[in-house]
Amino acid sequence: MDKDTETRLIFIAPSSDLTPDRIARFVHNLGNEVTAKETCYGVVLQGPREAVLRTLTEVRKMDPNRIFSKIRAFPAGDIRRCRAHHGSRPGFAQLEKEWKDLCLVESGLVCLERGEVPPEPKRRGKLPVKELKKLIDEVPQ
Amino acid sequence: MKIFMMPPNSLILYDLIERFGHEPLSLMKALRDRVTSNEIEAPPLNVTLDDVKLGLKYAGIEVPSGIRGRLAVYGPLIEQAEAAIFMEDAPYSFGCVGCQRTNELAKLLVRKRKVPILSLEYPSNEEEAKDMVYKVKQFLEGLK
Repeated sequence: MDKDTETRLIFIAPSSDLTPDRIARFVHNLGNEVTAKETCYGVVLQGPREAVLRTLTEVRKMDPNRIFSKIRAFPAGDIRRCRAHHGSRPGFAQLEKEWKDLCLVESGLVCLERGEVPPEPKRRGKLPVKELKKLIDEVPQ
Repeated sequence: MKIFMMPPNSLILYDLIERFGHEPLSLMKALRDRVTSNEIEAPPLNVTLDDVKLGLKYAGIEVPSGIRGRLAVYGPLIEQAEAAIFMEDAPYSFGCVGCQRTNELAKLLVRKRKVPILSLEYPSNEEEAKDMVYKVKQFLEGLK
């Protein structure tokens, strides 16, 4: 693969009204030299780096705080990863977790947009020993 | 500036770093060259024997080869890093014990470089997420 070619994942936050299909159609209509592949979480873009970044900038405008992106190591449709070829997705657990958290990140971005300074959140405490003992006692012997 | 992130393949961090105008040093980019190289007939899915040797630069011989192999990929990224963001408290499904130990060693290597570091936790609610995004922005803007 050419060094200049870039593969990018575009994620739609769960709170967005956009669909992967709509983004894929939008990318095709842009007419940039970019391949778009629909996925369950969004779209995979592949093409010359500059064209991919240009496309990403346009796609982001559709819903700036709910569209996220990162690059991908494997090319789109690579048989080692593509589900159509029974490829494995070892990193999917992480993608799934982070995809679920995107609506939380979105609230942070909205907060920044409004210029608000968020209050310091409560520190996460550890489980007290008493609580742990109570839990142990609850388990039937 | 080049920002190293932990987990090195995090979507949230990659997006935020890029959004706030910096260059994320990601695992994906490092692996991309390996899995798409034309010089290798069957591009490796994992690290090669050479990588394991290269990893000796970052970890001792007694360290398991899996960790050394991973560090061979992380190491050059850490050397380029001008700042770093760590997200702690990831769910256990993010990787095996080998990944966890590699991450711990990688964090140590970053700390040894004395670059600015921001340590955060994966947000579990809206308040924590707002605080996380705010801190990332403040940190990245402060670097410029």
